[in-house]
Amino acid sequence: MMVQVIVDGKNYEAEEGSLLIDLLIKEQIKVPYFCYHEALGADGNCRMCMVEIAGQKRPQIACDTLVKPDMEVSSKSEKIEKVHTDILELELINHPVDCPTCDQAGECSLQDFYMDYGLHESKVRIEEKVKHDKHVDLGANVMLDQERCVLCARCTRFTDKITHTHELGIIGRGDEAKVSTMPGRKLHNPYAMNLVDICPVGALTSKDFRFKQRVWFLETANSVCHGCAKGCNIYIDHHKIKYEDDMIYRFRPRRNDAVNGFFICDAGRLSYKLLQNNRQTMIRHKDEIISEEKSIALYQSLLKQYKNSITVVIDANLYNEEIEALVDYAQRIGAEVCAPLECYDDTEFADTMLKSAKRAANYEKVVKMGLDRTMPKTSGLIINFNHTETFYAEMQIDFSTHQRPNASFILPIAAYSEQSGSLTNEDGLVQMCEKAVHKNSPSPTLREWLQKVGL
Amino acid sequence: MSFSFTKANLERIEVLKNRYPSTQALSLPCLWMAQYQEGYITLDAIDVISETIDVPAMEIYRVATFYTMFHLEATQKKRVLVCKTLSCKLCGSEGILEHLKGHDVLVEHVECLGSCGTAPVMQIDDVNYENLTPEKVDTILEALR
Amino acid sequence: MREALIVSRKFSLEESHTLAVAQEHGAYKTLKKLQNLSPLEVIKIIKESGLRGKGGGGAPAGNKWALMPQESEKPSFLAVNCDESEPGTFKDRQIITKDPHLLIEGILLTCYAIKAIHAYVYIRGEYYQYQQVLQVAVDEANAAGLLGDVKITLHRGAGAYICGEKSALLESMEGKRGHPRLKPKQPEPEWYFGNPTLVNNVETIASVPFILEHGAEAYRSYGTERSPGTLLFAMSGHVERPGVYEAEFGVPMMEYINHFGGGVKNGKKLKAVIPGGASTGVLTAKEAEEVLLDYESLRAMGVSLGTGGMIVMDEETSMVAVLKNLLEFYHEESCGQCTPCREGTGWVDKLVGKILDGRGSSADIDELLEIAETMNGKTICVFAPAVSAVIVSFLTRFRDEFEAAL
Repeated sequence: MMVQVIVDGKNYEAEEGSLLIDLLIKEQIKVPYFCYHEALGADGNCRMCMVEIAGQKRPQIACDTLVKPDMEVSSKSEKIEKVHTDILELELINHPVDCPTCDQAGECSLQDFYMDYGLHESKVRIEEKVKHDKHVDLGANVMLDQERCVLCARCTRFTDKITHTHELGIIGRGDEAKVSTMPGRKLHNPYAMNLVDICPVGALTSKDFRFKQRVWFLETANSVCHGCAKGCNIYIDHHKIKYEDDMIYRFRPRRNDAVNGFFICDAGRLSYKLLQNNRQTMIRHKDEIISEEKSIALYQSLLKQYKNSITVVIDANLYNEEIEALVDYAQRIGAEVCAPLECYDDTEFADTMLKSAKRAANYEKVVKMGLDRTMPKTSGLIINFNHTETFYAEMQIDFSTHQRPNASFILPIAAYSEQSGSLTNEDGLVQMCEKAVHKNSPSPTLREWLQKVGL
Repeated sequence: MSFSFTKANLERIEVLKNRYPSTQALSLPCLWMAQYQEGYITLDAIDVISETIDVPAMEIYRVATFYTMFHLEATQKKRVLVCKTLSCKLCGSEGILEHLKGHDVLVEHVECLGSCGTAPVMQIDDVNYENLTPEKVDTILEALR
Repeated sequence: MREALIVSRKFSLEESHTLAVAQEHGAYKTLKKLQNLSPLEVIKIIKESGLRGKGGGGAPAGNKWALMPQESEKPSFLAVNCDESEPGTFKDRQIITKDPHLLIEGILLTCYAIKAIHAYVYIRGEYYQYQQVLQVAVDEANAAGLLGDVKITLHRGAGAYICGEKSALLESMEGKRGHPRLKPKQPEPEWYFGNPTLVNNVETIASVPFILEHGAEAYRSYGTERSPGTLLFAMSGHVERPGVYEAEFGVPMMEYINHFGGGVKNGKKLKAVIPGGASTGVLTAKEAEEVLLDYESLRAMGVSLGTGGMIVMDEETSMVAVLKNLLEFYHEESCGQCTPCREGTGWVDKLVGKILDGRGSSADIDELLEIAETMNGKTICVFAPAVSAVIVSFLTRFRDEFEAAL
């Protein structure tokens, strides 16, 4: 039942018996917290999310407070801010002051809360801090700095409750407690890099990303992972350094409770690299780089030459709009259409969490449109729109994001990160991808090529 | 794996399984058995316990590191636990600790052993030796050699 | 001072731990009374007796028993707390070695009242030699057919003070780290693997046979109105005859110390008394002269009765060194779960260490009080608030000694 709750003098509605902290997060009412995470539930260990509740003698943690009708909550009084400041100060006693060299700087809860509640003269009059290991390679691209850890146990709860792989635990006790794997053992689950995102501080960092770029320089676009048909929502974090090209530094999961929740798999996360390696940038015919003008003329003469014996091959990673345009185009030039899918079936990749056996982002769109999913049959001209398989035909034209060895006539196209479009995931959900990367010399998009070659 | 429970311990484990609502309750009893078998708790033993009671090895490991009486490292020396908490301190535990420096034993300064009325105290192989004096320490250690 | 032997009646007998001697002196007689009492009637008697938990908290035992469901699909459990780790406390150890059958009898009566089949005694790991005495007694009672359907299992801890906290004890007994649990939102039993469970201290359970044998009024005839009955008070530290001596609640502290303990050791003057285990604060000699040994009197002095394990300190004792010793204990024993406790216990230990070494400043004393404030009332369990109270207690009563050490 929905009930009224008053927070800082304002009325809100919340489900009776739900966690107060969920309401505060939803309504963007600022309370500091480390251990609470919506995917992991409440643990109550960091003691930061204290609020005052009318009728209660002591401050209460919002992550262990259930919403009651007409509850009156104060998150900002002088008294409660002092509580936040005091607990934060304890949190900082054994925390190294290495923000200038810490990769988390800029997206660190501890740093943010210090800005909100700290900014005070430190009272710490004790020189020696508790020493721990600062460079523990946990495996799976995850590095641990035990000194930066605030022992919120989000990471251990992740390997316990989300992946059920139990690699991480807090060992020892008191201020000697630390996060660790078992001696000599490493992280061994395909979602391990999510630990970097759920760690509220700089204790867990990505071996792949750390030291590469300050996060405040990064620009972010909303996109969808192309690693399989699940359609996990991601952020593409990219940045253009002066005189250099726009570069993707990382993918991060973007919360979508209908698809991927808070997480993505490591394979998908690291798939950004594919967008930057072995890209086709020039128009080539045989071994020669040719001009766009020349290529269009060549393309048109090939169309004429192979009239009535043309097959358009569509890759199932292209956007909905691209696939639709290509089907339309094929019809106009009287070509057969196929979108081979078999090569994208990969049961070994699949699991029960997020990884789908259909390893093409728009697999479902191809199925929905009823396209021929087999390999092309004609032996005249194949116009291949970014499919990675090898085909057999008298002549083949490749519109390709990536280099293709032995291609006789290849025209570069923009990758998904360089244009916007939509995808249909395996559950039939249509999701938008924003354009993220702005190349210094962008390749035309598929749709631009279709215009050029005379739609 | 090089560790295995003795037949007697395996029988005890089976009996204990009927005593608790979940086999997870057996983690402390199993850790004790492993420690008595080998003198300390090896990672192999943790893996065997994990299989025996169907609890992730990491959970057993972090339990083992929480309790001060579990040892994860071997020692050849005799472990001598000396209480350093208040009543023992008021009754001379510091002198006992100082005196023990002259013995070839592994001294562990531990918290209250519950012998406040018979302080100072040391514990060796689960036995408390109370109302200690340096001379008594010598006699006890001599007898245990 | 009148004699008041409820739990320790058989302690001085030869071979008191054996079934033969125990039965010769009346052990297990109360079991017959159960034939004419329903479980709820037993709980009613315990409630009427005013029996309070003797593990340190002093909560009314009958109320806790009444929270246990009488009709439940889930099995009910009894967990007897013998994790006795509070510095200055060594009374439960006397019960399990000197009259284990009294405890077993109490367990059987309690299991009947709460309809439990399984009873566990959680014994601190350091008490293994005493655990073996209790185990022999359980085996003897079992062989004699006294246990009926009840199964008593001794569960050994492994060195963690915090496991004396009832929810940490249950976590530990579930095979986990001894982390106290978040508190329930309304009165309810404790839970063991999701089953309703009663957790009571050894001495509390050992008091039950007397109450059932002689009635609630007989128990109430000892002690005070609000602190009825007796306690195995104890003395250690600078006292002539340290030990555990049962007395009724409400006796004057110094009378107890002089009567049973023979006063301060070596004829020295008294400086201070920690009234009931390390976590209860400290009293000056003057306060000790005035105070009575019951929950309310000690509370009125800003300290607590705790387990009744008094630590006596003579005039030559350094209060700075004593506080440092206690803070080392808390620093070592904090489970590390909550930030204020995990970080706070280490910080205050180091700060007092600095003062003890003569490197302190008056700002450090203020700082100690401030951290104590931060540690109070902001954690899952009462460990940090207890540390906080200890610091405040020492600094308010003996501030001059701390200042002199700067």
